[in-house]
Amino acid sequence: MTPPALAAGSRGAVWRRQFLLQGCWNYEGMQNVGFAYAILPALRDFYANRPEEALKAVKRHLEFFNTQPAMGALILGASVRLEERVAAGEADPRAIGTFKVGLMGSLGAIGDSFFWGALRPMASVAGALLALLHPLLGIAALLLLYNGVHLTLRRRGFIAGMEGPEGVVGWLKKAALNVRTDDRKLLAAILAGAYAGVFAGRFFVQGADAPHVLAALLLSAAAVHLFAILFRKAVSPSEILSFLLFAGVLILWR
Amino acid sequence: MAWRFLLAILLGGVCYLDRTAACQLMLHRPLVVATLMGAVFGNMAAGAQVGVILELIYLARLPVGASIPPDDTGAAVFGGSAAAFASSSIGLDPGSFTAILLLSVVVAEAGKSVDRFVRKVNVRIAHITVESVDRGDVQAVEHGLLAGLTLFAATGMVLALVFSGAGAAVSMELLPRFGPASRASFATLLPALPLLGAASVYSCSRTERTAAVFFLTMAAVFGGTVLFRWSA
Repeated sequence: MTPPALAAGSRGAVWRRQFLLQGCWNYEGMQNVGFAYAILPALRDFYANRPEEALKAVKRHLEFFNTQPAMGALILGASVRLEERVAAGEADPRAIGTFKVGLMGSLGAIGDSFFWGALRPMASVAGALLALLHPLLGIAALLLLYNGVHLTLRRRGFIAGMEGPEGVVGWLKKAALNVRTDDRKLLAAILAGAYAGVFAGRFFVQGADAPHVLAALLLSAAAVHLFAILFRKAVSPSEILSFLLFAGVLILWR
Repeated sequence: MAWRFLLAILLGGVCYLDRTAACQLMLHRPLVVATLMGAVFGNMAAGAQVGVILELIYLARLPVGASIPPDDTGAAVFGGSAAAFASSSIGLDPGSFTAILLLSVVVAEAGKSVDRFVRKVNVRIAHITVESVDRGDVQAVEHGLLAGLTLFAATGMVLALVFSGAGAAVSMELLPRFGPASRASFATLLPALPLLGAASVYSCSRTERTAAVFFLTMAAVFGGTVLFRWSA
């Protein structure tokens, strides 16, 4: 059985719809509705004259699903290719569920580490530093640095996924996200060091004598170190800010 | 003034959509949101000053799995609008600036609770979607997603109105009650806030070389800043 090929319009619709993967994010199925919504144009093509099979296919994609949203493009592309094979009778429908469940956790971890743990901090701190020169320059830097990489990886991941599960493995090797993650983290640390240096220099240095300046630097470094230790002990930024707010109220009271 | 709040609601809705439901293009980041709110309420630079500090503070909390980080978008709506209002009334002195930044934590936690509530309502929407598909209505998937998006957008717009209103109230009603001397004493806490932001990035950028490059860069830039100030 040969299924109708995926029309260019439907491929474009799937690509556009993946940006709404979290449109109905919920605590039970998480991104399930978003995933089913994104793949729907492809299912309509593959099961054009087979409504019962189309219904079964939609139900398959309403199962629990959760991954890092940008990495969802890769899984979505590969799921489209697998659905095409299922529609042609070349693959078992259960393979799709197994594939998605097998990949969403590991890709989620890789994506969280790269996008949230490395790329976003790097872009944020670069934007914050440049915003000291001009706010719009900072915003432009933040958006361009993040989205340049984000949208490229989404597009390439989707294209690789459309080649099937084999394409996913090849792309993941080629993308070398673990190396990129370390590079971005290092760059974020350098920029954050510059950010801390700028503000410490602005706020702490009152006098002009060398011992005072050295003390200000050491005090700032110690404060950063202390905050970092608190973060590692799972103290949240909100808890630290609440403590500072409480201290501020005490100062006012005094 | 009403049109400014209307604009804040629209921009807030778009930024809140970007935060979870659509695209994730970083339009919801505090630097962007606080600057926009500052511009809407008459002082873009004041909003950006708040955004520069808030941008980094919450980065240590990653939106991983089902965990929901504090609502830094809401904190930026509050902070950006409060800074703009303060600059046109009592002036954005260091004490007011510190107070606005610290009070934004209340907003961030309130926004987080609302976000959690929305995702619980979405459970019901997802259930209805699945039940409709079971009955043979494939289009229910599109309706379900539209309902979820609408809920996220509507909640975002309401939060943008409430938080920008709160920002205006704090700057116009609360802060003027304290004299300049009281506000100046509050400013002693200000240096801790950018350092907290830097620590947030430092803690989520852990590699073998992070500590060395972070503190060396910090010392070099600190030295450069001090030399620049001495020579100026």
